[in-house]
Parts: sequence; structure tokens; C-alpha cells
Amino acid sequence: MKVHFAQLNQEEQRVLARLKATLALRLAEKAWDADPALRQSASARGVAMKIGVGGAGSSMSLDVPAEAVPEPEKARARRPSLKLYFPSAEAAVKVLSGAKGFAIPLPLRGGAFSALGFFKRASSRATELLRDPATPAEIKAKLLLAATLFGLQAIAGESYLARRMRIVPDGTVRVRVEDIEYIVIKNGNSIKVQKNASAHATTSAGNFLEPTLADAELSFADYRSAIEVLSGARQAVVALGSGQVRIEGLLPLVQGLFAVLDRLSWYLGVEL
Amino acid sequence: MSDFSASKAYFERAAKVIPGGIYGSKSPGFLVPGHFPYYLSRGAGSHIFDVDGNEFIDYLCGYGSQIVGYGNPAVDGPALEQARKGDLLNQPHPAMVELAERLVALVEGMNWAVFVKNGTDATTLATSIARADTGKQIIVAADGAYHGAANWCSTNVFPVFTHAEQRDVRFFPYNDVAALEARFAEERGKIACLILTPYHHPTYKPQQLPTPEFIQAAERLCRDEGAWFIIDDIRANFRLDARGSHVYFGAHPDLVTIGKALANGYPISVLMGSEKLRKTASSFFITGTYWMSAVPMIASLATLGEMERMGGTARLAQLGGMLREGLERFGREAGFGARVSGPSAIPYLTFDEDPNLYLNQRFCAAMADRGVFMHPHHNWFISLAHTEDDIARTLEAAREAFRELVPKTGARHVQ
Repeated sequence: MKVHFAQLNQEEQRVLARLKATLALRLAEKAWDADPALRQSASARGVAMKIGVGGAGSSMSLDVPAEAVPEPEKARARRPSLKLYFPSAEAAVKVLSGAKGFAIPLPLRGGAFSALGFFKRASSRATELLRDPATPAEIKAKLLLAATLFGLQAIAGESYLARRMRIVPDGTVRVRVEDIEYIVIKNGNSIKVQKNASAHATTSAGNFLEPTLADAELSFADYRSAIEVLSGARQAVVALGSGQVRIEGLLPLVQGLFAVLDRLSWYLGVEL
Repeated sequence: MSDFSASKAYFERAAKVIPGGIYGSKSPGFLVPGHFPYYLSRGAGSHIFDVDGNEFIDYLCGYGSQIVGYGNPAVDGPALEQARKGDLLNQPHPAMVELAERLVALVEGMNWAVFVKNGTDATTLATSIARADTGKQIIVAADGAYHGAANWCSTNVFPVFTHAEQRDVRFFPYNDVAALEARFAEERGKIACLILTPYHHPTYKPQQLPTPEFIQAAERLCRDEGAWFIIDDIRANFRLDARGSHVYFGAHPDLVTIGKALANGYPISVLMGSEKLRKTASSFFITGTYWMSAVPMIASLATLGEMERMGGTARLAQLGGMLREGLERFGREAGFGARVSGPSAIPYLTFDEDPNLYLNQRFCAAMADRGVFMHPHHNWFISLAHTEDDIARTLEAAREAFRELVPKTGARHVQ
């Protein structure tokens, strides 16, 4: 059943706005990684910006330092040059969905308009990469995985999911597709996503099997499998049966996250 | 590892026309895909055969429904004879009277019986009758207990249910007397019933037997509150005590639900109640198109006789004890904290060092590779069709499986 933005309650509108902003920023980041031309079009120091939505909580950041930036500086969060401010959840959802809407670019230091230009190009490029059949599977899988996991992070705290999140055990899930790795940390009603999982993998229960083993492991057989499942072309439960997806460890943790994934799909289906 | 190509082919076809391919607890993801079959073609005694022709010694027993063995002629003979004469008739078959009389005589403290199909039917009817009788709304249940798949008790915690059917269900940690007392104090005057399984068998966790103090507290609190005490014996019935698992644990419930092993796999469950609830049950509209079909009732009568002939609960405990002792011994010898929890006839193996169940999954996968079907996430069942030879073969496979896990885990091998 189609749901329209106007049918959402206020909390859902705020969650959707944060979700759209999160996805836009994370996909821009992945487009930066994937496309050298896009990187060259940005400022010599890279891009640091944030998006704020009126009434929808703290701002969300993007920080993609250029190669030339010294390593110690890359490790630190840089001061953003731009804050793209949306006065309402509706404005954010409209603009970030590609429709006409109202946004206020607030320069915070030099390079603000270069950052804005980059953000527009990167958002558009990410969409192209996802749609283009010629996009290499690795890039598409990276885009989809980032969108999915950071999407879960964006919606996890909403009240609709509160009881579901209560019955899902806390813990860490390592998500793997070939050489892509993330750690998803579920704690109470929050989900946090970290890249480069092996460096951070911990277990809530001190699993003895391997020091880096998370409470659960979710792995895709290959990029193609990840694309099929994460794009919704193949149901996760079916992919499990056919061997395209593998789950080990604390199953209720992963199953619980699948339920949050259903809610993510619902949000992504909201029409303007 | 066995070939499961036919299973996978059926699954691919199923995924196009059935939600999830296989839904619910039989979903491949609940097992270890690649090591277990998805589709079975037949069973014989204690063994099952999949669509690829692989054979397994079976410790899931149709999720507990098989108690005297697949295809037992003492049950299937009279059942199939009745099937030829007619199963679902306009009015009940006399077997319904005979079965009710038999169960009332057998199950301690119960004076009447209502036949339904699934466990969910029975538990939902039990709580409904308790609510109707008391005029109160609240149901108290233990955290992680499984009482069926109806909206009031299922894990489908969508807000549309949590705000309606699940709104009046309260939970507490099993065996925690103080927490149970607190729940009853918080909801004083509003509790219709307390529903408990005779012992706790949560999914993904070791099983817990009730303490005598817990049982006594449950009965006292229900009595003081004017709430009914329900024992949901759907999973354990006839494996611990033929008079009901509540007898095994010294409990005195007002309502008891029985299913699974009741008819060795034929679809029937029963809600039984004490005299005090007969009037309410009589005035409660109870019906279902298939609830009075004759074949399962005739199968049930035959199953009750066959269980006794094959040695009953004593035999189940003996076989289960052999399995328990062997699994724990070989596990320890391989350096693992392998522990079998629950009653011997309904065992479940976990590893103390691995609460996340990676080892369960790897052990059960290794057992399946050796032709033994043990579920990594659900308790197992012993049936009267299991033999000493089955147990010996299972333990030999387990010894190898434990050893196979050692190099992957670094567990200390002490033998």
C-alpha cells in the first residue's frame, strides 16, 4: 500500500528527513570513493559539510578529505565549510528526493559553494551509478550496503521500532561482502555502523572462537548476491536458503535487524 | 557434505509462489543452510529421508510430534482405515468421546477436554476461557516462552499488535519468584491467568527446569489473585509423565494444553480443564471446521496405547540419558564446555563458552554431514522409535564432530 508523506505523523516525517539526509551524505561519500572525476571536481582539500533539518535533531556530516591532505589531518574531523539547512522535514524530504523544495546553504568558511556544487554532483552521480547497468558490481554493492546500513542507523531510534528493538539482543554484527566489511553495533534502541570492521570487532559476550569474531556474522556470497538482496530484487530469507547469504552466531540479533530493514523499505517507499 | 540439489531446486520454485519459500520455524535460515535438507519425502521409525535421498537419524521428531516413530503401523493402521471410511464428517465420530474419556482418566487434575488442531488454538482458547471466566484481561507469561503464533503471543511485534492483542500480556523472567510477585502486585485485580510451559525452553538458550519454590509461588499468586494457572504442555507432553508434565514438576494447574505427540503427528491438540472451569468452557462458543475430524482422534487413541507398549516415559528417559551422558563426555574430552540442558527426553546441547551459538551451528552442521539431524537452535526430542544403535551411531558421529571443531576453535583436546 502506497504511503504519502502527508500521511506520516510528525515523528515519522522527522525520521524520514534524517534518513534521506543520511543516505544522501553516505552515497555522496561512496560516489567520491568510486569516481576519480568526481574527486577531481572537488576542492583540493576535499569536502567537509553538514546537513541540518529544522526540528529533526543534530546535524549530519560528510567529510571526504582529498588525497593531498596529510594523514594526521584526515584522521581528525574537520570543520565543515557548509551547512545545508532545511527549515522543515518536508523541505528536506522533497529536495533530497530530487523534487523542488526550500533549502538554505549556510557558508561556515571558505569553499562553501564549492562543497555545495560537489554535493549536488555527487548525489546525482550516486544515483547514476546505482541505475547504470554498466556500473561495476563492487561499486554498486558498496553503495547499496552503505545506504542500507546507515539507513538502519538513521531510523533505529524511532518509537515504532521501540518494542522490536527491546526484544532484539544487543551485540555486534559483522557484515561482509568480499573485501567490504562493516560492524553494526546494536545497543538498546540505537544502531551504530562502523567501517573497517576488523579493527573494531568486539563481542558483547566475549566469544572465544576468534578474537575478531562478532556476536553474529552476516556475509554475502559475492557482490552480485549483495546487490540482489540489498536492492530488494531477492528476499533475504530466500537468499539464505539459496546460499547467497550466510548468517552465523546470534541469529536473533540478525533477524531483529531484518525487521528494522522492513521498516527502512517502508520509509523508502513513501511518496511525496 | 550431502547433496541437496533437489531440496534447493524445490526451494527456488517455492520462493516464487510461497512467502519466504518456507515460512516460520521451518525456514532454512533457522538451520544451517548447506548442511540440512529443506524438503523431506518420508520418515520410518526414527529416521527421515530427504528429497535427494539422504537419510538422517532424526532428533527433531517433527518438532516433537513423533513419539512412537514415523509410519508406526499400530497408529497408521487404524488411522488409515478410518480415513477410507471418512475423516471429517458433519457430526463427531464416537472416537471423540473415547479419546476425551481416556485423556480425562489419564491427565491428572483435568475433568474435560476440548479438541483443536494446533498448539496455538489450544493456548489461545485457554487464555480466552480464563479471561471470560474472570472478566479480567491481563495474561502473565515468562520472557522468551513460546505459546504459539497468534497475535497475542507471537514474536510479530508490529505496533498494530502491540497496541491491541499484545497490550495486555505481561512478562517476567522465568524462575524469578520476586519478579513474578512484583508482576502480580503491579496488576492486582486485573490478571486473568498465568501461562507457563512446564519447564522453560526458550529458543537459542539452554533449557531451565522450574524450582519447587517457583511452582509454589505461581500457584499461590494465582490463588490469591483469583487468576487461573495454565500449563502449556504442547511441546513436552507425554515425554516426561503420561499424567501430564505438570505431575513431573509437582504443579497443579487449572488448564492444560497438550499437542504435538498426542497423535504421533496427526493434527490434533487438546485443551483440558478442571471442574471449576467446566461451566465457562460449556458456554464458550468453540468451533473449527477441522477440529472434530475423526482420523487424528483414532490415531491419538492408538498412540496412547503404543506409547505404553513401547515403554513410555521410562524408556524415553533411558535413551535420552544415554545421549546426554555421551554428548557431554565427548564434548568435555574434546575440550569444550558442552552441556545438555532440559529433561533427558527433550535435550538441548549448548556450549558454555559460546552463548552466541556459533559452536551449536558448527556442531549441528557437522552432525548433519554425518547423517544426524540435530537442530542448532531448537531443543531436540527422543522418540520411542529411537534405538540403542541409533544413540551409539549418534555418539560416534558426535565424537568426530567435536574433534572436527577443535582445530577451528583452539579448544583444548585432552584425550
